Amino acid sequence: MINLVVKDLNKNFGGLHVLKGVSFEINGPELIGLIGPNGAGKTTLTNVLDGAIKPNSGTVYLDGIRIDQLQPFEVARHGLGRTFQVTRSFRRMTVLENLLVPALALDQGLSRPEIHDKAMEVLEFLTVDHLRNEFAQSLSGGQQKLLELGRLLMLNPDVIILDEPFAGVHPKLMEIIYKYIERVNNDGTAIILISHQMDSIFSLCKRLLVLNYGDLIADGTPDVVKNDPTVIEAYLGVDEDDEGH
Amino acid sequence: MTKQQTPLIMGIVIILFFAVFPFVYTGTNYPYVMHIIIAGFYYAILTSSWSMLSGYGGQFSFGHMGFTGIGAYTTALFCHYIYLSPEATNICTEFSIGSQYLVFVNPIGITSSTLVQDCLREALTIWDGSVQVTPMPVWLGIILGIAMGGLFGLLIGLLVLPLRAAYLALFTLGFTEILRAVISSELAITRGQAGLELPMLFENGINLFGKHYDKTDKIPPYFVMFFLLLICLGILYWLAQSKFGLFIRALREDQDAAAALGVNTTKYKIMLFVITSMMAAAAGAFFAHYIGIISPNNLMILQMSLVVSMAVIAGIENIFAAAIGAIIIEFTLEMLRSSFDIPIIGIEVDMTIWRLVVFGALLMITLRLSRNGIIAPIITYFSRGHVAEETVAKRKTSNANEESA
Repeated sequence: MINLVVKDLNKNFGGLHVLKGVSFEINGPELIGLIGPNGAGKTTLTNVLDGAIKPNSGTVYLDGIRIDQLQPFEVARHGLGRTFQVTRSFRRMTVLENLLVPALALDQGLSRPEIHDKAMEVLEFLTVDHLRNEFAQSLSGGQQKLLELGRLLMLNPDVIILDEPFAGVHPKLMEIIYKYIERVNNDGTAIILISHQMDSIFSLCKRLLVLNYGDLIADGTPDVVKNDPTVIEAYLGVDEDDEGH
Repeated sequence: MTKQQTPLIMGIVIILFFAVFPFVYTGTNYPYVMHIIIAGFYYAILTSSWSMLSGYGGQFSFGHMGFTGIGAYTTALFCHYIYLSPEATNICTEFSIGSQYLVFVNPIGITSSTLVQDCLREALTIWDGSVQVTPMPVWLGIILGIAMGGLFGLLIGLLVLPLRAAYLALFTLGFTEILRAVISSELAITRGQAGLELPMLFENGINLFGKHYDKTDKIPPYFVMFFLLLICLGILYWLAQSKFGLFIRALREDQDAAAALGVNTTKYKIMLFVITSMMAAAAGAFFAHYIGIISPNNLMILQMSLVVSMAVIAGIENIFAAAIGAIIIEFTLEMLRSSFDIPIIGIEVDMTIWRLVVFGALLMITLRLSRNGIIAPIITYFSRGHVAEETVAKRKTSNANEESA
């Protein structure tokens, strides 16, 4: 049973308090949306969860193991994978090689042919198998997003953080990403989905976390969050007329 | 023979060419040509290992010649200062090992062969030929040199962990310059710019192919450097094909993304520095024993620039291209040494200077027109030329399958 416990996370950059005592818990293969205006702290939270940034205080436990002081590669090996807001494929490596990196790094006891077959399965699912020997730099932006998702499948993590997977993606490729999210989630992986595309967030997620200037201001079902006055205020601002009352 | 096999066939042809060359070439300038090729092998080891470090691993280091110097000076100091003697000198620092004494000669700087005698020479004078001392074996000095190169590679690898791009280049440049300055200034031990003499690779000659070769003959060091190059290329190729090669390329592309996918970037970065430093140290140690002298000039930035330029012109992202390019460029640079007259205007062109201008121009043109060098794209054309066709064919097949479905 997947269990991610984030407790009282704080992160400062100089005088800027980017995460202010953020706490939440994920139990089982939930599909959670993480939303918030620009500068809310979503990417910082992701970086803290994956070990790229160490928090000033607070703890993160994944399946009973404390991961907030581990190196990113150790966090990945413990079962937390992520994508990046701006796609970061290994551009001068082939598509297939991009997929081999996490599989070999994880050392799951599979032979090279088995890893190769698994990579080909993933590429077929993502409909980019015909590009397997092309360098990643020759792929379109959307295809590179798919490649990043494919790498995560090879990592086989318990928890996945998808940072803006729909940004700048063609509708046809977006369908594939939708299918990907549903399949991975149905296979038992918890997903934290960060996106500014509210339609996607509301149609996919059954639970939403809302960050605003480092504060976790809401945690609930999409219907509850949608009608939460604090969330509306954070997204739309306060009407000047209302402010006086 | 398929198109993809062409680089392999060409590789075998090149290896065979160099294997038979010393026996079939009969020119009057035989020793000179052989020397250039041996130097070419030396630079080929340096450029191919630097290509692994910078081209594959993305660690743009200017410290490679520093590791060469560490390898060369370690074996030079070892062979210069340590001897085995059956009798105690009672003047030198010495330790008994069984029936022998390990004698450490005291450093006396550049006056050792002229004004002042070192303790061992004094002892030998006193003994008047009654005691024979044994110099340390060259191979042991070379092994120590390689080990020392690896140790320094580990230290530098640890120190440069957080550094990237220009900061890494400047740090490693600083390391080499400090090393050169220390060697230059420690006259008593290193003899500074006067250089430190080393025993030849085969001080007593060697029997090869049923023939005795003297210590100054070119064929033994030729094959030593040739086999060292083949061993280094073999190791580098094996590493490039293994998961080590995959991970260091991922490291080059995006260190953070590689770490997020479970790659221990620290470990592989350090391993990369250690392995390539050991190769540079091995090349330096062997070449120093071939030349017979090592001086701090070998560590100059100009030498490092030459290695970088060779790799860039040939193709930084392919170890074989870098090695072939180094041999060709070394040979071309030497051939361009001959000055000539332009009869109509009566000007003599001094090619000892102008050859470097030609070399510089070639470097600039390569950087402007072909970022991955001249030789690497040719190898890529043969090894990856079929990929685009395959991709298009697969796309057509999958489109046809979709339509029929």
